[in-house]
Amino acid sequence: MVASSDSHVTQCHIAAMKATHPVFCTIVPPHVLDKLAQADDPDLAGPARRTLEADAAQRTHRRLTTVLGAPAATVPQGAAAGKPHRTVYDAQHGQRLPGVKVRGEGDEPGRDATVNRAYAGLGATFELLLKGFERDSIDGTGLPLVASVHYGENYGNAFWDGRQMVFGDGDEIFRDFTIPVDVIAHELAHGLTQYTANFTYFGQPGALNESVSDVFGSLVKQYVNDETADRADWLIGAGLLTERVTGVALRSMKAPGTAYDDDVLGKDPQPAKMEDYVRTGRDNGGVHINSGIPNHAFYLLATDLGGRAWERAGQIWYDTLTGGSLEVDASFADFARATVAAARARFGDGEELEALLKAWSLVGVPTG
Amino acid sequence: MRIGVRRTGGFAGIERYAEVDTSERPDAGEWHALVEEAVAAGRGTPPVGVPDGFSYQITVDGETVYCADPRLTEAQSRLISQVLKEGA
Ligand SMILES: [Zn+2]
Repeated sequence: MVASSDSHVTQCHIAAMKATHPVFCTIVPPHVLDKLAQADDPDLAGPARRTLEADAAQRTHRRLTTVLGAPAATVPQGAAAGKPHRTVYDAQHGQRLPGVKVRGEGDEPGRDATVNRAYAGLGATFELLLKGFERDSIDGTGLPLVASVHYGENYGNAFWDGRQMVFGDGDEIFRDFTIPVDVIAHELAHGLTQYTANFTYFGQPGALNESVSDVFGSLVKQYVNDETADRADWLIGAGLLTERVTGVALRSMKAPGTAYDDDVLGKDPQPAKMEDYVRTGRDNGGVHINSGIPNHAFYLLATDLGGRAWERAGQIWYDTLTGGSLEVDASFADFARATVAAARARFGDGEELEALLKAWSLVGVPTG
Repeated sequence: MRIGVRRTGGFAGIERYAEVDTSERPDAGEWHALVEEAVAAGRGTPPVGVPDGFSYQITVDGETVYCADPRLTEAQSRLISQVLKEGA
């Protein structure tokens, strides 16, 4: 961290903080803010541009993070391969990670439902990776899975910090982020991506990173419920929105852009097709927005093939992610081409390939 | 002094913005102290964030610094939640 040289703040007096009243506070959807930004605030375009310029440098940094960020935790002695090694910590509403250890592998469930959900969600994700894809944890070599719950105060978010998952208890908009198992699996899948294709978290590779997490998040939910593709809801974060919000979830892979439409939150901004791709510097170049396009391609493939989505559609995505052919700055088209190669290698020139080509064509991503 | 906090990213990718104007406030000095500490530890360009982590822009009288979860200083964390919470 470096001190800012352009701060206007000079004279200050230290005293106790008191309650205050802001002049303006709102939650605005990104597309509205984009317009506002152009009109009101010339400072807002600059950061996005600088982020783009810094992106090349960040890539190097991310590579290092991937290597250096490999968890300090090691597989416990005597631990069996093919078994999860889970630890759940309680951040006790602070922001220091990981917090206090509250449940280790094999411990009985406690009274805290959030802890139990996190533990179970880690287990479900581990199990799909193992049974569905013969992968031993997210790194393929039995990496211990670590989660911290009750992070921060009034904290409506969950994230992957490069080593572990972190879950907040929610705020006026969101409930506890451990409630939907697909959200837990989504976070863990960021670890899977980090150890494999390692897509840069900006622009199209960033949206691929997000989409892969949504895909595996949804697959874990379907695996847990033993649902076939036609019966799955294909929603991300169902049950996460409070009663104050008009919406069913945060994202819909089946119908991107329809998950919520709310006075305060605005409308779900996700596109389903390339022609509606959203160009923005916000949200790391719209990583949670444009992920709708590869998300929808996966949905189209899985429902076209039918049956259990993780068995064929999921296998193609898994093979693509772990195949090693993609650069960290892969575009949607790069990814689509790699899925085609993966499908051919795994299933030959059959119905899987045909359905895959159709899916990418319907969302407007070229495979040729 | 006008203090703006813009929070971007996060699992939902939904933005939030809040602003506090400390002029004619009895506790302006306290805000200014917190702002000075938070801004001093801020960066001139957006730091590398983590997947689904919140990123923040703190704008004070037109000058902006950046920070991101989970590496906020105590002052940044307090200022951000104070500004975002008050009008929620
Ligand atoms: Zn994510």
